[in-house]
Amino acid sequence: MDLFLNLVASGLVIGSIYGLIAISFAIIFKTTGVLNFAQGEVMMLIAYLSWSLGTSLALPFVALIVASIVISVAVGVLVERIFIRPMIGQPVFALVMVTIGLAVTLRSLTVLIWGPDAEPYAASIAGGIVEIGPVVLFSEQVFALALFAVVMVLVFAFFRYTRIGNAMRATAMDETCALLMGVDVRRISSMAWAVSAVVSGLAGVSFAIMFSRAPDLWFQGLRSFPAAILGGLDSPIGSGFGGLIIGVIGDLSEGYIGQGLKEISGFVVIIIVLMLRPYGLFGEKELERV
Amino acid sequence: MRTHHFVETYERHLALSDNPVTWSWTGALLVGLVVLPFLVGGYALSIAIAIGIAVVGAIGLNLLTGVTGLISLGQAGFLAAGCYTTALLIDDYGWSTEPALLAAGVMSALLSLLVGIPSLRLKGLYLAITTMAFSFIVTHFLLYAESITHGPYGVRIEDLDFLGLDLGSARQLYYLVLAIALITTLAALNILRTRIGRAFMAVRDHDVAARVMGISLTRYKLFAFVTSSFIVGIAGGLMAFQFRFINVDIFTVLLSVEALAMIIVGGLGSVAGAILGAAFIVLLPEITRSLLDFLPAAAAEALSIHIFEIRGLLTGLAIIVMLRIEPHGLIGLWRQTKRYWTGWPLSV
Repeated sequence: MDLFLNLVASGLVIGSIYGLIAISFAIIFKTTGVLNFAQGEVMMLIAYLSWSLGTSLALPFVALIVASIVISVAVGVLVERIFIRPMIGQPVFALVMVTIGLAVTLRSLTVLIWGPDAEPYAASIAGGIVEIGPVVLFSEQVFALALFAVVMVLVFAFFRYTRIGNAMRATAMDETCALLMGVDVRRISSMAWAVSAVVSGLAGVSFAIMFSRAPDLWFQGLRSFPAAILGGLDSPIGSGFGGLIIGVIGDLSEGYIGQGLKEISGFVVIIIVLMLRPYGLFGEKELERV
Repeated sequence: MRTHHFVETYERHLALSDNPVTWSWTGALLVGLVVLPFLVGGYALSIAIAIGIAVVGAIGLNLLTGVTGLISLGQAGFLAAGCYTTALLIDDYGWSTEPALLAAGVMSALLSLLVGIPSLRLKGLYLAITTMAFSFIVTHFLLYAESITHGPYGVRIEDLDFLGLDLGSARQLYYLVLAIALITTLAALNILRTRIGRAFMAVRDHDVAARVMGISLTRYKLFAFVTSSFIVGIAGGLMAFQFRFINVDIFTVLLSVEALAMIIVGGLGSVAGAILGAAFIVLLPEITRSLLDFLPAAAAEALSIHIFEIRGLLTGLAIIVMLRIEPHGLIGLWRQTKRYWTGWPLSV
């Protein structure tokens, strides 16, 4: 039983990272219809930038998080402006291919700048131990869980109550109509990239604190696809929960079935999900029969 | 100004090319490719072999992604399946090389049904993710099913001969790869001008319209999957012949992305494009390496330890730049140039 609870807890921790990344996939997909294959790389870039800032300036933790958010907005807006904006009007296929190209480019660029070695991400919150019944968690793991909860609430509130969030939903629903209602549709795309960069950037920082700042950080992006698919690609909140489920499934199958399954169980799950419910648990069902 | 030529008989319509100039240049290119091994050294020959294998793989992927419009990020998985099938059949089961190479294609095609059938309801992006998931599952299986695949130790094969060709000699391996690349090219060109090829394109351009015109989406999507994976599997088998020692580490996501880069840079949906793109992407790091020699020694040394990253960077940039300036790829650029000269001085 203790093993089970501990596996679930560590699954929830890694799942909250997947969930955050899945939320950022869903935000871009929902508003622009583009699946951003470079999300993991954007996340890695932000984590590296924030690491450099943290180690060179020795900022207190809260300031570091704020700085990371600022960096994320800058990265998101820049990437959108340089790579995505000029492609508007091209078929979605071309845009997705651009994000794949961008992914490889950013990945290589990061290693070229920072080198291939992993470095610990020293943060003042790391190192403590929190015991909840039989479950033992490190404080940085608790931070990841808390971050996930906060971001989920904020994302929900953002899309529900703020003007920009509503404008994004309107754009997702009907771009032309939103344009006629006075929404600056081009700015929405830029906003979506910025918001999603912030969410995934925080996930990257949190992951780097738990493990290390390493050049394979981008892989977490690919591993979060199952979460986004499971939750529904057009539902940020659903994708978040999808992350938790995928995380728990991963750790349970690693613990009970066999070694290495953690890496792979998510992908098995999405193949099954896509067969049964391609729009995910929380996504909107598209009526299209061919 | 030269007038365009007019097609007047059915025979000329049906021909692969009715233009004698095209035929004579193709002939010249073939002669060039046949004498190539006698002109260049061992390193250049090994690159030529790599290009040949990449051509086979890119043509296969192009049938699926370029012609039928089903995005695949699973190229590495299908290559791995083919490569391991050939190597294991030869090494562990004592098969001779000819059936082992065919088995690579068959195995890959069978596996493609496994991804293809559940993916039939999916379009574009979702399919890209399923194929990527498939690729991860394949490499995971290869790494952990140690009793079948030798797991992390890899597979070594030696002293092969294929229909009398000694594959230990680079020159003879080159001729085998050249022959298979030629067969693949001809097969793909011929598929594209039949009902099947036109049905593929119809599915890509508008699936609902294709369905209304009586094209069974299920059948043609699956057929595209199977044909493409068969060809990719063969390319995988050839990789086993070239490397002799294979390991699961080669089959990364980057390999799938490189394959996509080949067909995007070359020209989506065009066989000639796939060939150009494959040559371009394989040569890209080699050209960079030779350009590095012109840099000051210190800079060149600093960059040469990062050759893997530079390769990734160039692949990514090649995709982005090509999509930005010419979505039809190198072959599109070539067609534009040709049109410009044909229409000169009235061309725009």
